[in-house]
Amino acid sequence: MKFWAVRLGSIGLAVLVSFGIGMIAQGSSGTVSRLIALAGLYVTLAVSLNLINGITGQFSIGHAAFYQVGSYTAAFLASILLSRGVISNLGTPIPWVLVAVATSLVTAGIAGLFIGLPSLRLRGDYLAIVTLGFGEILRIIIQNTPQLGGSYGINSPKAFVVPYVWMLTFLCVGVCRNLLQTAHGLSFLSVREDEVASSAMGVNVTRVKVAAFVIGSAFAGAAGALLTFNEGFINVNSFTMDVSFIILTMVVLGGTGSVTGSIVAALTLFILPEVLRDAPAMPLNAVLGTLAGIALLVGTIRLAMDHKGLGRSIWMPKTYMGIGIAVAGGVVVSVLANYLPALTNRTIPSAELRMVIFSAVLVIMMLLRPQGIFGVRELGLKSFFRRANA
Amino acid sequence: MPEPILSLQNATIQFGGLVAVDNVTFDINAGELFGLIGPNGAGKTTCFNLVTGVYKPTGGNILFKGKRINGIPPHKVAKLGIARTFQNIRLFGALSVLDNVVIGGFLRNRTNIFASMAYLPGAIRETERLRDQAMALLEVMDLADEADGRAADLPYGKQRRLEIARAMATQPDLLLLDEPAAGMNPQESEDLMNTVRKLRDDFGKTVLLIEHDMKFVMNLCERIVVLDHGEEIARGVPVEIRNHPEVIKAYLGEAV
Repeated sequence: MKFWAVRLGSIGLAVLVSFGIGMIAQGSSGTVSRLIALAGLYVTLAVSLNLINGITGQFSIGHAAFYQVGSYTAAFLASILLSRGVISNLGTPIPWVLVAVATSLVTAGIAGLFIGLPSLRLRGDYLAIVTLGFGEILRIIIQNTPQLGGSYGINSPKAFVVPYVWMLTFLCVGVCRNLLQTAHGLSFLSVREDEVASSAMGVNVTRVKVAAFVIGSAFAGAAGALLTFNEGFINVNSFTMDVSFIILTMVVLGGTGSVTGSIVAALTLFILPEVLRDAPAMPLNAVLGTLAGIALLVGTIRLAMDHKGLGRSIWMPKTYMGIGIAVAGGVVVSVLANYLPALTNRTIPSAELRMVIFSAVLVIMMLLRPQGIFGVRELGLKSFFRRANA
Repeated sequence: MPEPILSLQNATIQFGGLVAVDNVTFDINAGELFGLIGPNGAGKTTCFNLVTGVYKPTGGNILFKGKRINGIPPHKVAKLGIARTFQNIRLFGALSVLDNVVIGGFLRNRTNIFASMAYLPGAIRETERLRDQAMALLEVMDLADEADGRAADLPYGKQRRLEIARAMATQPDLLLLDEPAAGMNPQESEDLMNTVRKLRDDFGKTVLLIEHDMKFVMNLCERIVVLDHGEEIARGVPVEIRNHPEVIKAYLGEAV
């Protein structure tokens, strides 16, 4: 009885929070509302890729392909409904949106099945190439199919989907968390750890890999359908390799296998470039000087961390000295750069500067915390309590 | 005469020109402690791989409880009741000691993946059951104190014992141990000997083991088969094997 009360309570809470986010989105400007929707979609994408990459250990780098399958399925369905006069150009009613999401879930799941099947024989880099190739082939086929809009793209009647985006996010996170709490999830992890040993223990490695691909791609497909109705217009440029790489970066940055890590990294990596849009344009020499300073600083901390592996604390006098030298070095480089005539007259516009900062953050992160934000751990109420008890 | 639990009938496997296991024939009776020994490269581990379905024999038959199991994939062999450990330890290193054993029990799980994805009471109960069973096995293998630690952080001897616990979790009838005492000190290997005996006496498992530690094999095993270059060169009780001229020749070489 208590079980079902907790279960219904948490589902109710998730729905409530989703509609709450929806209300916030409705109250804010169109741009912000769109960003709130996209943030939810990226969390879903990262968490679902984490199931394939992080939990089951199948290195897939073509996640945007499944996103695309879902998105185009929904757009195609909407175009049929439009031509039949079931929906009008003014907007897609929510029940039809949900039908499209369910359809996309299935089609992307089937696509995942087809990619999952070759993955049975391929490992590591070989699988990565296949998934990458699949994404590119799909994109180019769609680009050359006039029925799907070709390179121009497809228009679909918009709908306000923010609450449903976040409901999908909660569902995806919930499913991954549930799996990891049960013995089934352990069988996924065992495939990542050692395929030979897990098959010797009776785990059907084939089935686990295919299941991971199907579940992961189905969620990506559902996210794609919601993207279609949120944007009202999609074309192949929304699903390039860059998108796959950003999702992959989110998973790696969050800590491979950690669901909470994927969530935090997805939100951070999505919001960071948006916040940086307001960054001022900066002179090139200042940027170079800062980067050099950061490089020295990170290098020093990295060295100190390597020493820590030898059983010493990283906070020894040498570290402070190193940090001091690094900062001084940065200033010196910056001043020197000032005197280089080739550099002084150039400024970097904010649109480019934000990508510089974005990349710098990634490099720093990977140097200082290669296992990702959370490593393999999960952040949850339980870990807080455990710390309190310890 | 009861039916043997495992019998190899002229089992052969060829890799190109190399015959790794050549016409090997032996029967193991239920409840036996059976040893498979031989110099390095004799084909012992390949025999294990044939029995557990990693390789498909190119000739001959392998029968488990009278049923032919040639070429059945490993996870199905495990389900039939054969579990193994590995010579080069293959634990799920990043997972906890307890979770390693839970995965061993997973093949007898009775829920489907959708119940787990929805975290239904059935799936929770099943996971609890597997956890309890795993904990009990850790007690038997004297690893209960380490249950929450990472498997890769265990000392070597304990990792070997954890491999046995994980194999036991599949509820096998036949346990294949590949060099269980490798890298253990005399005290640890003495303890292990008692544990393996306990697995047979208290849990009724049949044990087939590969081992280089002669003291271990001679004290523990009731019957032994010796392989060299993929072929059987001797079989018998430990006393016979110890004095068998072919065995001495295979291990030490011939007198010049």
